[in-house]
Amino acid sequence: MKASVETLGTAMSNPFREDLVSRNRPEPCTVVIFGATGDLTHRKLIPALYNLAVGGELPTGVNIIGFARREKSDGEFRTGLEVLNRKVSRSGHDAEVWDNFIHSVSYHQSEFNDARGYASLAKRIDEIDAGRGGKGNRLFYIASAPEFFDEILIQLKGAGLNKAKDGCWARVIIEKPFGTDLKTAKHLNKVVSQTFAEKDTYRIDHYLGKETAQNLMVLRFANAIFEPLWNSRYISHLQITCSENLGMEGGRGGYYEKSGALRDMVQNHLLQLLSLVAMEPPTDLSADGVRDEKVKVIRSLRQWDTPEKVAENVIRAQYTAGHVDGNPVPGYREEDRVSPTSETEAYVAVRLLIDTWRWSGVPFYIRMGKRLPKKSTEISVHFKEAPSVLFSALPGGVPGGNVLVIRIQPDEGISLRMVSKIPGTSLRLEPVKMDFHYATSFGKGSPEAYERLILDAIAGDATLFARRDEVEEAWRFIDHIERAWHESDNKPPMAEFVAGSWGPREADEMIKKDGFAWRRL
Amino acid sequence: MTTTPTDEYAELGKEVPVSQIDHELRALWEQDDARTNASLMNLVVYTERRGGLLENSRIIGDLARENACRAILVEIAREEETSLRAWITAHCHLSDGRKSVCSEQIAFRLTGRVTGRFRNTVFSHLNSDLPLIFWWQGKLSEVFTERLASVMDRLIVDSSSWADAKAGFARIAEATEGNTALVVQDLAWTRCWQYRVGIAGLFDDTVAQAALGGIAGIRICHSPQNRNTALQILAWLAVQAGWKHKGAGVFETRDGHRITAVIESSPDSAPLGLVELSSPGTTVRVSREKGSAHLLREIESGDYKVSSLSPADPEAAESLVAQQLSRGGKNSLFLKVLPTFLELL
Repeated sequence: MKASVETLGTAMSNPFREDLVSRNRPEPCTVVIFGATGDLTHRKLIPALYNLAVGGELPTGVNIIGFARREKSDGEFRTGLEVLNRKVSRSGHDAEVWDNFIHSVSYHQSEFNDARGYASLAKRIDEIDAGRGGKGNRLFYIASAPEFFDEILIQLKGAGLNKAKDGCWARVIIEKPFGTDLKTAKHLNKVVSQTFAEKDTYRIDHYLGKETAQNLMVLRFANAIFEPLWNSRYISHLQITCSENLGMEGGRGGYYEKSGALRDMVQNHLLQLLSLVAMEPPTDLSADGVRDEKVKVIRSLRQWDTPEKVAENVIRAQYTAGHVDGNPVPGYREEDRVSPTSETEAYVAVRLLIDTWRWSGVPFYIRMGKRLPKKSTEISVHFKEAPSVLFSALPGGVPGGNVLVIRIQPDEGISLRMVSKIPGTSLRLEPVKMDFHYATSFGKGSPEAYERLILDAIAGDATLFARRDEVEEAWRFIDHIERAWHESDNKPPMAEFVAGSWGPREADEMIKKDGFAWRRL
Repeated sequence: MTTTPTDEYAELGKEVPVSQIDHELRALWEQDDARTNASLMNLVVYTERRGGLLENSRIIGDLARENACRAILVEIAREEETSLRAWITAHCHLSDGRKSVCSEQIAFRLTGRVTGRFRNTVFSHLNSDLPLIFWWQGKLSEVFTERLASVMDRLIVDSSSWADAKAGFARIAEATEGNTALVVQDLAWTRCWQYRVGIAGLFDDTVAQAALGGIAGIRICHSPQNRNTALQILAWLAVQAGWKHKGAGVFETRDGHRITAVIESSPDSAPLGLVELSSPGTTVRVSREKGSAHLLREIESGDYKVSSLSPADPEAAESLVAQQLSRGGKNSLFLKVLPTFLELL
């Protein structure tokens, strides 16, 4: 006899979950990955799901269907996944767990615009649900090339797959890029909202799944010493740096030429970090509680809405040939799949002002670049200097103010620079650093960002995903800059820097005008 | 005080006078600038077992890789002449293959009359401001007092090693009366963590949820030394589902429905080998073969069959402690379940 699900209505609860883990519960569901033959699926998504299974966090009864255009059997699909999983899985490859896990993975071949493919997908999911008394949750992960996002959403709706059954849910995760400007983002949001409710839409930004990004709120709001200082009275400025030593290897030039540093990194990842570091304390830790405060930051950004303002506050640049890690590297315009007359920025530095009570007059600087000396992402909070009444007469004076550095990657951690007396009979001051390294203090490795984010989506927790208004407000800010660069009559110039250096002179001058300098990483 | 190459405690590091411990630790760190001293907690490991000190030093070597700490190891031997010996060392490992990260260790061997001396010895060598985690190995002796408990943030015990668990918990309750800040963690409870997660996960499935109201039988298998773990998971099921214990392995649901629980002990079982809940037509089961690293989680309801693997709970006490240290929390669920567990004993 099969248990009757119908008698339960929607008020079903699981008493064994209570007090067990402090997170929303991930429920059994069918996960459909669009773009299943792509690199993201093989290198990130399946290994993330597998590692959740290794940790026992993937609910029993999860089925994974890979949806893509290429002709493949289930066996071929699984073999391809296994080959990559063996190479990239964070926890290694356990044959017993893999065999059990891969049993739940299958392949569904269809063109993205073929309604019949979605009808047969719906039938297939219904068959899976039939075993659960006709009920089942669905998670659609759109990891295809962005040009198919619209079509997939429209087809999902056409096949009725966007509709959740009674007491169940249907959710969608959408990979970046979420549009290429405000217009396309709005269009995509419109298509999404016609297909899924906002509460069921998860726009992924893997930066938010990183441990230190999540720790930002804890650092700010669980430590009494920081929040009272976190304002224009005590902070002189903040810097967010994302430097990469790589260039356009592996054919990345083709993609990069269409996006550039501003759209590829600043619009999403770095503005997300900015909003976390600058937001007001949320009223609660609910997804909307947090996102309400984040979007206020983006909305409060002063708009650089004329070419003159852009020229004054935003520097774009390309690298010329140089050396990185001791190896000669080509200039941006000589890179593979990059136009020799390219006007795409491989470096951008932006000066931002947030017009709120808390941040009035405090500049935020974001810089992102390829072919910089090393790979690093960090946020540095620069505090104002102490009144120089007591020590200003000393030789050397007071060596700089306090700097709190939050390292996002690599070597996640937090450090605080302070001033200290050098031991000895004379009074001389030097900066010292208190340093906290995640890897040193917590030997245990953090889960990959995708593990956390996929589990959150299965559990219905959207806190670490971008909301519609966040995405659109970010594009509104970015669009002014893009227009000044590409459509205005007096386009701000493209600066240059030697590959392997810390960016163009113009960026140094921009920050210097405010009396500051880029932090040396 | 003498240290000879044949000293059985040589692997505890450098033997030092107790009054010189801080000085010697500083000297230890000054020897090598390339090493980073990391510490998130004071971890005291207490044993009254002969040879426990050496074994615990090896355990800390592993434990400190993921839980940077100042380890304070204590071995008590009352039957010997009164003495106090101390050793210092550091357990280092390469973090990310680059940095040498070390946890310092102070080991004490107290013999003869120890009460009072022991407490002061430990208190004076704690790293200030860091929490004190106290891992008490074996039966609680007279050394365990209210004064000692008052400085602990977390007490880890293993009720499976106690002959009389009721008496052990009564002693803890007496020593910690009014001390709501102390978190007590029983490794017998930690041993069924993955089982609890597994069962909770299975009941997220609508089919299992539908069967919950009709559960009529529970079967739990355990190895002989893990009866407490079996009883604790039974107590957890009952408390969470709101079943009342009516005696002799019988429970009653809120609507008066009877559930019979069978607890089986077998030397061929994993520490916890099986937890099975059955209703007419549906079986929800988490099981583990002896020696297996995985739990098998299953639901069977007519044609509907789903299964998955999840990690098994570790068996060694040190691995369970490592789990506890990485998890933290107030352990309120254990306190909720404890009265029912004591009733089932």
